[in-house]
Amino acid sequence: MPAAFSGKRLRLLLCLSLSFSLSGGSPADPTMTTQDVNKSQANFLTKMQAGLNESSPERMMATQTVNQQTHGSPSDHLTLGHNISTPGPDLATKVFKQASGGNVSDVTFVEYEVLLPGVSGTSVEKNITLDHGTRIELSCRLDNKYSHLKSLQVTWKRGNETVRHINKTETSWSIQLRISDNSKLGSYSCTLKGEEEISATFHLQVPKIEGKEKPIISYEGDTAIMICKSFGYTPIAWTWYMTNGSEQIAINDTLLANKYVIHRISANVTHMKILKLTKEDSGVYWCEAAFELGKSKGKLKLKVLSLMVPLKPFLAIVAEVVILVTIIFLYEIYSKKKEKSAEAEKEFDQVEQLNSEESNGLENSSARHRKI
Amino acid sequence: MPPPATTGRAPGPPDGGWGWAVVFGAFISIGFAYAFPKGLAIFFKEIQDFFGTSYSEIAWVSSIMLATTYGAGPISSVLVNRYGSRPVVIFGGLLCGIGMVSAASCTSILQLYICVGFITGFGLALNLQPSVIIIGKYFLKRRPIANGLAMAGSPVMLCTLAPLNQFLFDNFGWRGSFLILGAILLNCCVAGALFRPIGPATASVKSQMAEEGKSALKEVTEDAMEMNSPTNVPMGNKTEDEGGKDCCEKINQYLDFSLFKHRGFLIYLIGNVLMFLGFFAPIVFLAPYAKHIGIDEYSAAFLLSILAIVDMIARPTTGIIANSKWVRPRIQYFFSFSIAFNGTCHLLCPLASGYTGLVVYSIFFGLAFGMVCAMLFETLMDLVGAARFTSAVGLVTIAECCTILLGPPIGGTLIDTFGDYKYMFIKCGAVMVLAGTFLFIMNYYNYRMLAKEEKERKVKEDPKQDPVRTENEGRNNWNKETAQDGPELEPLRQEQEGLKKEVNGTNEV
Repeated sequence: MPAAFSGKRLRLLLCLSLSFSLSGGSPADPTMTTQDVNKSQANFLTKMQAGLNESSPERMMATQTVNQQTHGSPSDHLTLGHNISTPGPDLATKVFKQASGGNVSDVTFVEYEVLLPGVSGTSVEKNITLDHGTRIELSCRLDNKYSHLKSLQVTWKRGNETVRHINKTETSWSIQLRISDNSKLGSYSCTLKGEEEISATFHLQVPKIEGKEKPIISYEGDTAIMICKSFGYTPIAWTWYMTNGSEQIAINDTLLANKYVIHRISANVTHMKILKLTKEDSGVYWCEAAFELGKSKGKLKLKVLSLMVPLKPFLAIVAEVVILVTIIFLYEIYSKKKEKSAEAEKEFDQVEQLNSEESNGLENSSARHRKI
Repeated sequence: MPPPATTGRAPGPPDGGWGWAVVFGAFISIGFAYAFPKGLAIFFKEIQDFFGTSYSEIAWVSSIMLATTYGAGPISSVLVNRYGSRPVVIFGGLLCGIGMVSAASCTSILQLYICVGFITGFGLALNLQPSVIIIGKYFLKRRPIANGLAMAGSPVMLCTLAPLNQFLFDNFGWRGSFLILGAILLNCCVAGALFRPIGPATASVKSQMAEEGKSALKEVTEDAMEMNSPTNVPMGNKTEDEGGKDCCEKINQYLDFSLFKHRGFLIYLIGNVLMFLGFFAPIVFLAPYAKHIGIDEYSAAFLLSILAIVDMIARPTTGIIANSKWVRPRIQYFFSFSIAFNGTCHLLCPLASGYTGLVVYSIFFGLAFGMVCAMLFETLMDLVGAARFTSAVGLVTIAECCTILLGPPIGGTLIDTFGDYKYMFIKCGAVMVLAGTFLFIMNYYNYRMLAKEEKERKVKEDPKQDPVRTENEGRNNWNKETAQDGPELEPLRQEQEGLKKEVNGTNEV
């Protein structure tokens, strides 16, 4: 397996280079070494450009020598130009990439580019989500209007380790990575040191899973359904956990089939049904999606309430309704009674009036009628 | 002893007093009827996840509710004709409450359709019609204001229900929320309790009238109460009406189908049915459209809030404007204008670019929407008269039911086919401008015909000054006027004249 082979070789080289560095390296004549370095570097570079694929031990040795020799004088590297970075395992990785054969022509790098702002202090960040192993190329490009800035030192780093980069153009620099497992993920940053420092960071991550921020509310004896979705990326497997104190315990739905039912509805969606809820089922649940490059979790909260909880406001409002209706009806009866008594009085008055009118004579009344 | 002309009109609306309490009750009732189906949308996502259904299956709940609320209109009218507004609203409130409480313990989507869709929808229908009807009974001169205020209940309730529903959902889940919403809907019973029956109320009136006048008015008021006999049935006594030998008569007793011969009613019906095709779709699609052109979710929701707030202010204001002496006689023109204005807003919407444009559109849309809604029932009352309004509103709502339900899906299909929202706006705008123009022209024609009929009637009546004016004739006069289509102000004056003549007549006996 080429991978295993390159892994072994890589480890070998690592050990060797480390041992040499630890031993302090030989304080050879700087000029001599640098010239050697130059030559071997040049050789190396041309060989790379030629795209040779053979993996010969001599090449390893040559590079080893390079490692060995150049290690003693790091300062010279800087003066030589911005292409050279301190040797490290990644250099070898690059070699291996070339050497592992057959892949150069059909290597498709997924490219992510970031345009650097000219202003220092502001840091540009880019999040890249990867769910399976790929080769990627991360590049930092400086806007053309800043191309007047000379003497720029470009460093690519991951954490504290430097990654060897290539000059794509005069104003862009990139690194090429092969992401094959979780350890390769992380933050890679490019820094341009000139008069001011400009930097950009790429965050390589597994896809995030969203849970629910608000708690799911359910009732005792009822069923609760929890749903987790992955957006865009298909996980290999889903696992559900419940929190017991501070630990997370995986939920085994075959074991407790009458309590938990886990369904994978579609490739990106998982359902978990919790049946016959009790108060103890309240708490935090996690849904974990396993991707090739790692795992990602989503958080869900469940609250189980007793039936009494909504019943109290319900009864309060019903009581309010009954009271209001009673008040309105009572008021109506009261005002009707008032009206009736007022009418009775009026009628009495009118009867009296009529009597007095009749006593005044018919003529007056007819006159009044006609007046209408 | 002179019976004052005003008390002579016993079913005379008080235009105030307890009427304002009735307006408040109608405010609550109408608010629930219109806002509740929209407010339920907050729960749909959770219910969809719970029952594992698709979005369209959940949307059916809302559609069934809306369809039942509008479709049960005639049943509501029949019940109001029979029992009066108050018992119907109280029963409706109870039904809503029962529906939601039983929905809280549903275990399938079908049960939700029945509990929330049918039962609650029917309860809301029993709330909506009587509230509108009773305003017509309590108000005449200030009716547009009363209508505007009562219809303002819809946006106010929507603005209250939306955050309330969210709060309930966050604290009680959907089942608990349905339980509590059931209790909240019981407040419709409180609104119903406020709907004091009004009618021949007037024990005081009876005692003041002369004998014949009294009995004439009594029968007249009872006719007004039943308000169903078609014009061709001779205005006999009460017993004849209640006998109802013919089955047509019996049906007409409950639901006045003779309205379909009524010119004003037909104009209103056709115009409104056309209008509703494009009325609700823009609201439904405003937020998705905003998201489509790149506005974030919260700002899109805020557009709807702007719409609701402008709507809230526009409705009572329109009521006040419609009540002014310049507009009231020509209220139909005002109504057609507001529909056309609404349509123009929609036609101009695709030109709105960016968030500011949409905000402006929302404001104008809210204004137009409020204007149309405030006058929706007022114009019908104006055309048909308070007497036959009960049946009219039932028939109108069931006719509108179809187009209301068709509007948003047609809009949705347009959007899906063309992939662009502008065709939906153009369609809605065109339909509404068409409806507005139609109503304008037809109402112009209607006003002219009414004026002509008025003149003819005046010419006929003058020579008819018989020395012996029987009660029947007097009643005929009065009833012809009530059954007469036309702007209410005319019959108002006519009634007064007619009564005066009556009294004169009786005296001359």
